[in-house]
Amino acid sequence: MNSVVMIRFLGVLSLICGMLIVGVNIVTHGRIQINQETILRESLIQLLPGMDHQTVYVIEPSGELAVHTGGETTAKRLFAGYDKGGKLLGVVLEANERGYADIISAMYAYSPSAKTVTGFTVVEMRETPGLGNKIGTDPDFLANFKALDASHPITAVKHGTKKNPWEIDAISGATISSRAVGRLLANSIREMEPVIQRNKERIERGN
Amino acid sequence: MSGVTTTIIEVRTSPHLHGPLSVDMIMRNVVYAMLPLAAFSVWQFGLSALVLLATTTAGCVLAEHILCRANGNASTVNDYSAAITGLLLGLTLPPGFPLWMALLGSLVAIAPGKLLFGGLGSNVFNPALVGRAFLQAAFPVAITTYTPTLAKARFAEFVPTTWTMPLMKPPPIADWISQVRVDGFTGATPLVLQKFDHIYTDPWPMFWGQRAGSSGEIPGFLILLCGAYLVFRHMMDWRIPVAMLSGAVAAAAGFHLLDPARYPDPLFMLFTGGLLLGATFMATDPVASPVTPRGMWIYGVLMGVLTILIRNLGGLAEGVMCAILLGNALSPLIDRLTPPRPYGARKPEGAI
Amino acid sequence: MSTTTTPPNPFLNGLWRQNPTFVQILGMCPTLAITNSVRNAIAMGLATAFVLVISNGLIAAIRKHVPKQVRIATYIAIIATAVTVTDYLVKAISIPVYKALGPFIPLIVANCLVLERAEAFAAKKPVIPSMMDGAGMGLGFAFGLTCLGTVREVLGAGTFLSIPLFGPNFEPWVLFLLPPGGFISLAIWLLVFATFRERKQRQLQAGLTEIQPAEVRS
Repeated sequence: MNSVVMIRFLGVLSLICGMLIVGVNIVTHGRIQINQETILRESLIQLLPGMDHQTVYVIEPSGELAVHTGGETTAKRLFAGYDKGGKLLGVVLEANERGYADIISAMYAYSPSAKTVTGFTVVEMRETPGLGNKIGTDPDFLANFKALDASHPITAVKHGTKKNPWEIDAISGATISSRAVGRLLANSIREMEPVIQRNKERIERGN
Repeated sequence: MSGVTTTIIEVRTSPHLHGPLSVDMIMRNVVYAMLPLAAFSVWQFGLSALVLLATTTAGCVLAEHILCRANGNASTVNDYSAAITGLLLGLTLPPGFPLWMALLGSLVAIAPGKLLFGGLGSNVFNPALVGRAFLQAAFPVAITTYTPTLAKARFAEFVPTTWTMPLMKPPPIADWISQVRVDGFTGATPLVLQKFDHIYTDPWPMFWGQRAGSSGEIPGFLILLCGAYLVFRHMMDWRIPVAMLSGAVAAAAGFHLLDPARYPDPLFMLFTGGLLLGATFMATDPVASPVTPRGMWIYGVLMGVLTILIRNLGGLAEGVMCAILLGNALSPLIDRLTPPRPYGARKPEGAI
Repeated sequence: MSTTTTPPNPFLNGLWRQNPTFVQILGMCPTLAITNSVRNAIAMGLATAFVLVISNGLIAAIRKHVPKQVRIATYIAIIATAVTVTDYLVKAISIPVYKALGPFIPLIVANCLVLERAEAFAAKKPVIPSMMDGAGMGLGFAFGLTCLGTVREVLGAGTFLSIPLFGPNFEPWVLFLLPPGGFISLAIWLLVFATFRERKQRQLQAGLTEIQPAEVRS
């Protein structure tokens, strides 16, 4: 057996495998895109109840917004959700923060006019199951984000000591994860609020 | 000295060393040395601590007996080691710990922690800590729920969590605590207060037993006294606790000098958490620790430093358990690095 | 393989006698990583079974043309193709399964079980038995994962397939959802199966003196 035979064999094999993968990709591509859009819409509707359609913006490094035309992106995104009449319901932002274990990545709904956080959902986390991961499931904790004042820096306080509208009532036994959520929101809003206010009219129009 | 005089009748061949210490005699004395701690704990926490200690002790002894028999071997409960494991496990748990969890912890301590390795003398880790590590990982909330000391009705009623139904969640006890507490008790140990809320607790009252904590880790003076008893009976090597405590003090002092605002002083570190209890009764487990004096020093200092590293830099408030388990895991390695020198042998030239 | 009797059914062989998880102890990475719920375990097991059937079939089909020196590279190329195809299909067919398995499907490439079956079985046998072997091994693997997933979900969350078993007051054993819980439940199952096997072997040896067993395997 000489090397020419081996190279020829592997070459033909790679060609066939490659063609197979491309073929399946072509067949499933459309369906995958639809599915991913569905996943995105589901999470947006969960955060902005009553949403009908959305515009996806990419936040450019300069701090400017650009309408996202599809495909993968590594930049942070801003989703603007509108009701049937085209009125802006609010924006949804992506944010990350270091939690108790690894990065917590989350999405939250923000109302630019009222300057309040109106919803919060965890996209990915590795917090301790049964304790820290309650930040994604605990109904009492998530109730914090129905109307959380964001005009003042948001902080998480110990369970049962919430006094001000910008404070998050932490989960008992998961204070570290709860505080991470507080930092996540505070940092992201501090960074994004100017961008949103600068582009407010554009976001309302949806272009 | 009744223990010595009763066993000295054993007939032995030469060399005739006086006062031979048999395993079960040492073990029995360790149990004696822990009884004052248990008594203090019952005085502080009342009925709940009593049934907790009884449950873990009985659980370990029964587990050992039944598993030995199930394997077709003779039961080894008479060497008192299972009783030590049970008592130690109970002393490291919060006083209101649910009994079904305590029983589960006893089973884990004895079955995988000890008998799986071949029983007493073969275990790699301190069995009580294996049981506690399992409980800490399985029930992180229950094992960090502390109750106040010296509650008024402690000899009349149980902590509500003690009699939790098996497999069920312990009931919330915040209301109960606010009813029975004597002073401004929040249910947090000084270490937790210091780490997460930056509230400092004065070390000396803690040394005399004024703080929250696990059932047996609170009275620092009593732990040292009981440890001293074992050292004077030559039933425990003083090097390990001394090395561990000095390692911890040195590491804590280093941290404190770097940033006094963030890292508490060495005295605080010494008297909080389970450091004294761990250094005296757990790190000294003769099976899981090195055999040479030099090895013991290395082992002890290592665990002390690890404890402080975990407390100051880790995610957990208390690091003694993990530090000792790590030390246990390293002790065969330490033994390899510090072989005893045969009598009369000289160090080879150029060796360290 | 004994020559005096018919070879064992390749399907049942993988499912039980040579079970990848409990007998061969292969593919431990997914076994430990994705068994914290029964649903994940079943989905991962089935996805692996699917890849095994395709890769075993393809490898068996071209086995006579593969140069011996590059056979491992060939197998890996084929397995990787099968995994990529599975990945696309899962993404296209089911959103919930994709959400649960998304990050794990590419890892099937690194599951040594798939390569092991290619080298040990598909490289020497015709297509149909090879696919049978793939299905048996894959389902055996799925069975193993499900066993682990059951212990971990029941103890770790008090549920089975997300159905609560113990009522709302159940105290979950958080440990079993964490990585150490994977090792502990694997150990428990290995203990159970080893005990079972040993007992069977003892019975077999006791019976040896009376009747010669029909099949003695090396």
